Amino acid sequence: MHSILAVDDSASMRQMVSFTLKSAGYNVVEAVDGQDAWEKAGSRSFDLVLTDQNMPRMDGISLTKKLRESPQFKTTPILILTTESSDQMKQAGRAAGATGWLVKPFDPNKLIEVIQKVIR
Amino acid sequence: MAETSTDQSSSAGIDLSQFYQVFFEEAGENLQNMEQLLLELDIEAADDEELNAIFRCAHSIKGGAATFGFTDVAELTHQMETLLDKLRRHELVPTPPMVDVLLQSGDALKAMLARHQGSGGDTVDTTELLFSIRALVEGGSAPVAAAAALPAAAPAPARTVATGMTQAPTSGDRTVELRVGPLTDPSQADNLVDLFKEIADLGSIEPLADDPALEGVRRFKVKTATDESELLDLFTFHVAREQVSFVALGGAPAAEPAADPGYGFFDDAPGQPAAQQAAPAENKGYGFFDDAPGSPASATQAPTGPTEPPAAPKPVVPAVAAVKPVAKADKPAAGLEASTIRVSVEKVDQLINLVGELVITQAMLAQNSRGLDPVVYQQLVSGLTDLDRNTRDLQEAVMSIRMIPMSTVFSRFPRMLRDLANKLGKKVELVTQGEATELDKGLVEKITDPLTHLVRNSCDHGIEMPDDRLARGKPEVGTITLAASHQGGSIVIEVRDDGRGLSREKLLKKAREKGIDAPDSLTDSEVWALIFAPGFSTADEVTDVSGRGVGMDVVKRNITSLGGTVEIDSAEGYGMRVAVRLPLTLAIMDGMSVGVGEEVYILPLSSVVESFQVTPEMVKTVGGSGRVVEVREEYMPVIELEKVFTVPRFDWEHTSGIMVVVEAESGRVALLVDELLGQQQVVVKNLETNYRKVSDVSGATIMGDGRVALILDVGSLVRRTRH
Repeated sequence: MHSILAVDDSASMRQMVSFTLKSAGYNVVEAVDGQDAWEKAGSRSFDLVLTDQNMPRMDGISLTKKLRESPQFKTTPILILTTESSDQMKQAGRAAGATGWLVKPFDPNKLIEVIQKVIR
Repeated sequence: MAETSTDQSSSAGIDLSQFYQVFFEEAGENLQNMEQLLLELDIEAADDEELNAIFRCAHSIKGGAATFGFTDVAELTHQMETLLDKLRRHELVPTPPMVDVLLQSGDALKAMLARHQGSGGDTVDTTELLFSIRALVEGGSAPVAAAAALPAAAPAPARTVATGMTQAPTSGDRTVELRVGPLTDPSQADNLVDLFKEIADLGSIEPLADDPALEGVRRFKVKTATDESELLDLFTFHVAREQVSFVALGGAPAAEPAADPGYGFFDDAPGQPAAQQAAPAENKGYGFFDDAPGSPASATQAPTGPTEPPAAPKPVVPAVAAVKPVAKADKPAAGLEASTIRVSVEKVDQLINLVGELVITQAMLAQNSRGLDPVVYQQLVSGLTDLDRNTRDLQEAVMSIRMIPMSTVFSRFPRMLRDLANKLGKKVELVTQGEATELDKGLVEKITDPLTHLVRNSCDHGIEMPDDRLARGKPEVGTITLAASHQGGSIVIEVRDDGRGLSREKLLKKAREKGIDAPDSLTDSEVWALIFAPGFSTADEVTDVSGRGVGMDVVKRNITSLGGTVEIDSAEGYGMRVAVRLPLTLAIMDGMSVGVGEEVYILPLSSVVESFQVTPEMVKTVGGSGRVVEVREEYMPVIELEKVFTVPRFDWEHTSGIMVVVEAESGRVALLVDELLGQQQVVVKNLETNYRKVSDVSGATIMGDGRVALILDVGSLVRRTRH
């Protein structure tokens, strides 16, 4: 069973994402912000990291950068959930080493669709 | 229960409505947070971190609202976010109108959320708010004065962050065909037409005849200078991005097929069909960075992975199939909050009650073991000592669950006062003190309304107009102070203002007009107390702010029903002070037990000042029946508990020889008792609900030996001596 680290500071989004993923048969670990995710990622590995961009303490871009620096997450797909699909965001995401992005709001279908592209 | 529902909120077999409650709670917290931050915002020197925090509140609400389909909320927060984004990027400088409009938007959002939660209310019209925000957003890039003059300015030209990726021309009017759909409800597209009406600079829109080949797709002719990604941004709150496409007028799709292709990869991702590359990434709502680790492209190159190239234009099925309708809707709520959990108050109360019983049992054990020889029963005795300590700690910890800081009440006042002062044309500053003072949650909820009323009163009746204040040599800005503090077993909340104060003559005159007996001989505090009489209003004219004078008596009644008291102090021309005194908690208190004859009474420890042995010459009789005792050159009234409760005496030789001095409501009395039995924590049981109201008694408790003891109402005993 694939494990996904779902990071979002919004409880409702986290709940929705987590429920969607669990329903699709994934194992989900939730984190409330980048810092929390970073701590959780320290103890184990994941098959995919799904992170919100704008969060207190540590945002999605910084989290991605940090994860990429650790050998364990060198090749792990990291998707950034963002409300802005601007070039700026994309450049930042690319530079940080993210695998891709998904624009919010998204439909649970779409989430599964994207995830199935990167892990199978 | 949560079968795959077919209503609008369901998506991919997942019933999104199961997440609504969390969203509402979260949005409520975010709104409150945002309001507080806005009120604290120093406009002249706005802190980046503060602006970011405010932005994040709006952003978070928008994300959730858009996801869960609350489009009105998403639309408004989107606009707020645009403004806040410019502020945090320093493209705009914060101004008071911005704070105003953001605060108003917050109110509108509250109303919308309440409506969505099913609490009714009218639909919230946000047209004006949206206009104002857009105008303010515009104001930054245009000369400052233009902001007010152009209320309907479009947001588009001001955008500096280009959204690249589109092939559409970004300047000059052009005419394109806009296709929206397929839609289940074709009228959804009408919102877009409204949008064009709403935003003058956006261009024009005309409906085109439906194309029979495109079922459920609405077609429009759009003339606009705004580039497509901007339009998509605007449309996204009415229809999904994937459902919108721009087509050269009367021709083939210009940018992409009308139907959502489902997916596509970043421009030059290896292995992509050529046609796919043309599709702009925005319209899919996601994308991959071509050579990023973990991307599908790189996965196909990896030697280990199954080398199945992601076949591009295949319609996407898997998600629906993969998502099983799950029957347990209550499951996902568990374990969500990392640092806090929400627990119903009933559960906490049950816990408190159980701990209360435990305290009684412990007290009983302690009492019964008193006679044991500590040498023989050493282990038992030390165990009981531990139990004593642990019980007390446990009780404190449990009680603290229910305690919340006064700041939760105080935090609502800055906003309220700001609005009120604006409305009245007054200048008022609010000072809060002792916000960290904790109070039982139940009391906090009940004290909020009376306090609100008092603060309103101070602002409306107390604080003078700025000119009047200057004329009287006072600072132009009036001050209202809210202060909370612990005093013994009570919390005292004061509402002070430096306004005009109460007028003795005016109050007496008014009272007489109302037919209230008000002789000139009344003391000041008795005169002030007149405002608590039903139907009494001190303002010459009824205003829509402080109501019609029906308030103060209700305020007093509410506070009294919580076991509290209200005191008023005033000096005409200098202001007034209303002090509300409440018990900290209604459930447990420290008591001193005293014996009178065969009876045991409990005195709240917090009200006990001292105790001493009394000799007959210390007690003097005054005015016939009253007796006073002299303590360090101070005389205080003596109350014989034996007479108050007519305690039967069997031992005629015995005389009470101990005085306990108690204090309440800034008065002291000496209670004459037979003996002091000790201090202990008592679980307060309400006498009124279990028996009936007994004067001079505030409640009852069960003692360690199983007997019932009455808890004395010291305030009421003190009042006795005043008549």
